[in-house]
Amino acid sequence: MRAIAAVALNTFREAIRDRVLYLILAVALAVVGGSRFVAMLTVGSEVKIVKDLGLAAVSIFGLLIAVFVGVSLVSKEIERRTVFTLLAQPVARWQFIAGKYAGLLLVLAANVVLVGGAVLAAVALMGESPLALVPAIVLILVELSVVAAFSVLFSSFTNPILAAVGTVAVYVAGHLSWSFDLLRKRVATAAARTLCDVLHAVLPNLDRLDVKADAVHGVAIPAGTFAAAAAYGAFYAIAVVVLACIVFERREFA
Amino acid sequence: MPPVIEIRNLRKSFRGHLGIGSHLAVDDLSLSVQPGEIYGLLGPNGAGKTTTLKMLLGLVRPDAGTVTLFGRPPRDVAARRRLGFLPENPYFYDYLTAVEFLDLYGRLHGLDAGERRGRIDRAIERVGLKGREKTPLRKFSKGMVQRVGLAQAIQHDPELVILDEPMSGLDPVGRREVRDLILTLKAQGKTIFFSSHILQDAEMVCDRVAILFKGKLRAVGRLDDLMSPEAKWVEVTVKGSVPSGIGGERRENPDGSTLLVLPGFDALAPAVAAITAAGGTIAGVWPRRESLEDLFLREIGRAQVEERVS
Amino acid sequence: MSGALRAGLLLATAVLGTGLARARLVALDAPSSGSKDLLYLPNGKYLRAASLGQAPLAADLVYFWAIQFYSDYGRADRFRFTEHVFGSVIPELDPRFIDPYWLGALILTTEGGDLEGGLRLLDLGAEKNPREWVFPFLAGWECDHAKEYDRAAAYFDRAARIPDAPAALVRLVAGMRARGGNLREAIAKWEEVLTDPRGDDASHAIAERQVRTLTVRADLQDLEAAVLTFRERRGAPPRRLDELVHAGILTRLPLDPDGKPYRYDPRTGAVTSDASRVLGS
Repeated sequence: MRAIAAVALNTFREAIRDRVLYLILAVALAVVGGSRFVAMLTVGSEVKIVKDLGLAAVSIFGLLIAVFVGVSLVSKEIERRTVFTLLAQPVARWQFIAGKYAGLLLVLAANVVLVGGAVLAAVALMGESPLALVPAIVLILVELSVVAAFSVLFSSFTNPILAAVGTVAVYVAGHLSWSFDLLRKRVATAAARTLCDVLHAVLPNLDRLDVKADAVHGVAIPAGTFAAAAAYGAFYAIAVVVLACIVFERREFA
Repeated sequence: MPPVIEIRNLRKSFRGHLGIGSHLAVDDLSLSVQPGEIYGLLGPNGAGKTTTLKMLLGLVRPDAGTVTLFGRPPRDVAARRRLGFLPENPYFYDYLTAVEFLDLYGRLHGLDAGERRGRIDRAIERVGLKGREKTPLRKFSKGMVQRVGLAQAIQHDPELVILDEPMSGLDPVGRREVRDLILTLKAQGKTIFFSSHILQDAEMVCDRVAILFKGKLRAVGRLDDLMSPEAKWVEVTVKGSVPSGIGGERRENPDGSTLLVLPGFDALAPAVAAITAAGGTIAGVWPRRESLEDLFLREIGRAQVEERVS
Repeated sequence: MSGALRAGLLLATAVLGTGLARARLVALDAPSSGSKDLLYLPNGKYLRAASLGQAPLAADLVYFWAIQFYSDYGRADRFRFTEHVFGSVIPELDPRFIDPYWLGALILTTEGGDLEGGLRLLDLGAEKNPREWVFPFLAGWECDHAKEYDRAAAYFDRAARIPDAPAALVRLVAGMRARGGNLREAIAKWEEVLTDPRGDDASHAIAERQVRTLTVRADLQDLEAAVLTFRERRGAPPRRLDELVHAGILTRLPLDPDGKPYRYDPRTGAVTSDASRVLGS
């Protein structure tokens, strides 16, 4: 347990000493700050623009971090061979992966809190209560933890570029998973229908973690739905991380 | 006493590029390392030393054979608790300072905060990095990186220290310090297992060696057993003419003098007398003993001959 | 020439070349042909898929673009795709985005003279957002503006029935009925307002006055119609109003809101009222 915490803190420290992270964070905060001015372009409700841009900033910049920090997490260690001394330690391989993931989650959480907090402040400054946005922000973090799990998984067995491509592909597929339902109605054979069902069930249904539209329009998200969505994302992420541990356990470092 | 490291019939081959062909990296290797000794795994580059070390640490799975550390398989966490490892050409986290780096590894070893502080200080002192512990690693020179790597390998007081080419890239002062450190560790009762292709250094510290060439074990045993203790030959540098009939080899030196290689001390006195009588000058006399390098080259020559024959 | 000078010269040439080429491109820009731009705006469903979870933001961006597009009055063919943009693309991305529905409707009715198109957009907005009273409200206004008072009244009525809608909407219903000539219905509505306990003193005062005014107008209307009928039947107007009752044209003679009878001038056939506090009757 202590080993996982040590690796996690080290990963966090590595990320926050990376200038790229600050660049991403700075741009995200600039977008949130500037949303007030962008909102002047609209005819009608300005606060809606601030909310939409703000939530998109939390989501998109969080995604950038989850992919670009995540995919280099393990592959950089292997490339630089720091992994050799680490694995010579009395630490099980799965603890190493779990620690990396935990560190990445800490980075993502910090980012979501900072940028999300800025969004809430921006909305509050315009005179509206930002509380309805909080569930959406929490679910964005859950979504990011699923994406981060995939980037760690891919990073554990391939190079950063392929890992990034794979993670982005999963993200896109995850947001289009509702289309498998539509596709299912159109395909001819039963085998194809089963394939659609399987894909729909296996791929992460990231659209279920997206309540931004409701939050922006002030529609309350029922507690049961929120809990189920959060649980879905959490369990899915855990499953993928376990898979990453298994892959890493079997890896050779020639 | 049970051996600290036991390797039996170890074998590993790697598939070639795109799955075509395969390269046999380690072929039927067997050796054992006793507690308290300094054991050198020697051989040229590509001999299979690093692959053997990786199998020792569980980084690579052998195709056949067994390897145990303290009687346990390499992936066993308890076994790894008792060892320290320094890889070849190490690279550590740029963004950490030396202290942070050692603290991380201390934590991974399960040392608590108080223990870590003390051990880190001692390790830093031991490897000669005092005063640089707060500097970020990215500012370290290669020699300093090697030292902090050594610090990481010894700070938790392991029974077994495994070093992969610990002297590579170091200047002579650095190499001397590493040699001294190895000897100090042995004096503390630790076992040291290291690989190297720099034979002079190995000669100076090892108790036993294993010589690897193209994955096969060519020679193994105590240094004294492998090399004969008496002077094997004497080299005499002669200016001017060298009379025939003295025996031994002659070689031309670039400056025009002749290098005469005599088969032993016994042949020295008559040779000197003959040369002086012929009017030549003795410029130098060196009694030479076979070095590890000589043994090494001899073994490699033999291996190449065997290959050609088979 | 020195290395620095050479580099500087090369840089200056490149910058100059860029500037000239750009100026040429700008000069070659064809005057906006309007519909060509919109050919590139895909179906809302595809945009939704492409937005990958940022649908509300995508809706905002399309809306911004549409605002810029419709600010350019020089465009030909401005109104061909208005309903597509505001009634299909944006609602597909974010059906609860209120502003585009009414802005699109405004563009269509005010600029394009297309009432039905505007009403379609507002109806769609109401359908997707049944609790927003602003949609039927705006639709009522458009109908009022187009002098279609019955439809206006129906819209305002719909708006008034939405929970949390302002109470004043009922007054608009009444007003539209009156303008449409349905005086009796208007009076009934005003009486609703008058008796509504949630109303404040001001609205009660307005309602009371309207009831009086409209009652007088309605009564006068009925009486004058009755006089005409009498004249057609008998060939001459009645000498007194109660002859209308005797002739069976009216069941009874109404009294004005003060309880006084209406006055009748047999020579002109005009019916008038003395009722006090009646303005502009």
